[in-house]
Amino acid sequence: MISAIYTFAMTTGANRVVRGARIEHVCGDPSLGSEKDYAYGMRIVGTALQALTVAVPGPTLFDPQAEETPEAVHAS
Amino acid sequence: MRLELGSFPVRTIAFGPATRWADGRLTVDKAAALAEVRRDARIASADLEVAAPGESVRIWPVRDVIEPRIKVDGPGQCYPAICGRDVATVGQGRTHRLSGMGVVEVSSVNWHDSGGDFVETYLDMAGPFAAMYPYQRLQLLCLVVEPDPALSDESRNDAVHKAALAVSDHVARATISLTPPERETFELGPCDPALPRVVYIWGVHSPQAMSGSLTAFCTATYGLTQLTAPWLLHPNEIVDGALTGPYRTAFAMSWTVANNPLFLDLCRRHGRDWSFLGVIVLRTEWTTQHEKQMIANQTAKTAKMLGAQGAVVTWDAGGNEFIEVVRTIQACERLGVKTVFLTSEDDATDGAPTMLEPLPEADAIVSTSFFKNVTLGVADPPPVRRVIGLDRKVIHRGSGVGLHGGADSALPTSGTLPPPWRYDDHYGFGTLSCIE
Repeated sequence: MISAIYTFAMTTGANRVVRGARIEHVCGDPSLGSEKDYAYGMRIVGTALQALTVAVPGPTLFDPQAEETPEAVHAS
Repeated sequence: MRLELGSFPVRTIAFGPATRWADGRLTVDKAAALAEVRRDARIASADLEVAAPGESVRIWPVRDVIEPRIKVDGPGQCYPAICGRDVATVGQGRTHRLSGMGVVEVSSVNWHDSGGDFVETYLDMAGPFAAMYPYQRLQLLCLVVEPDPALSDESRNDAVHKAALAVSDHVARATISLTPPERETFELGPCDPALPRVVYIWGVHSPQAMSGSLTAFCTATYGLTQLTAPWLLHPNEIVDGALTGPYRTAFAMSWTVANNPLFLDLCRRHGRDWSFLGVIVLRTEWTTQHEKQMIANQTAKTAKMLGAQGAVVTWDAGGNEFIEVVRTIQACERLGVKTVFLTSEDDATDGAPTMLEPLPEADAIVSTSFFKNVTLGVADPPPVRRVIGLDRKVIHRGSGVGLHGGADSALPTSGTLPPPWRYDDHYGFGTLSCIE
């Protein structure tokens, strides 16, 4: 499950949870401009697809922003 | 900060040659009141009507119910800063109120055009549906008002609420030189240090995220509705209307905020049963996990810094806003601030929890029953003899979530109508609770 409010997804039992951007735009960030927005969306979707290939013991968070700099994380 | 609140009970309202209050009878000079409304060039039409408890009358669409309050002594203006009013800090001196009545803002103007937040509330003055709300017991002065349709959403909201406040001011002004038959003093005086210290964390929806505007109309703190850091208010400021204005449920109205029984009890029992430290207004509907957690942490920190040992928590919304509210409760408990949560419940379809995120720290909860009329099984209110406002109401049938989907149709307002889909008693006006 891709969710901006990812702890809720986890406490209610989703096994693979991908951190989304914001409630208004879960899979992207229009404030980045179309090119970066697209890249960001692709990274979220890519993380989600990757998550499907991993065995998990229980609710687990996959964070597409984990390798980003702090500035990029806060850009949304 | 000391505030004396003088109450003038209203038992009847009638139109007459001059606006005056005497022995529970409010007479309203309709032409004079409407002249004050029409002073704003944005108003296209305005009329006043009266509704009394027990009458077979339906009022639709109801945006707000306002209790007339006016400053007699002390700085500022009641219901400050909203709709361009005085921004001076309120809460001192003397305020007069017309109790037992409300000015009803009857208008088709919607809050904003996104997110499914439509004006849905109508009021019946008789019958079992009416008994579910506090307004059925009030004398109501209804302003049926429409602005210039060419204006923006925000300008139309501002215009009709300003108009309702103009009527509220007009009738309240009649009490300025009179001696109030009832008086009450609000003051957080020194008290026994052994008494438990409590704050009230008052969650209020922000329309900022849904509307995309910093200035969208909603319940406002000194006129502001945007997402802000937790805001500490002296209770007297709230008595003077620093937190005011309607939102989408019938329980989120100016009148219910001003008459919130939980808040008034916290004030009245200060120095006897506890030491009331103040109100922290928590704006809700932050839209990332991190923002929600941060605002929960900061709200709890503020309570702790004030020296709180306990906090009472309410909110006025639904859905994802539950997260910052319940995480505020968690953060308070982790800092040693014990919490009590007053909330309605979501439906328990297919065994889902009636709380969106049931955290173990939220272990003292007072339920005000279900959020939705459909879950409560409220019967369709029967036809009425008279309608104040629009003669047709668009309804959305066949949808499990109220407005979002289903077939639309417009029914005569005077006929049998489904109840508005949200019930949601935010402050404990009613007697409904949970099913064990």
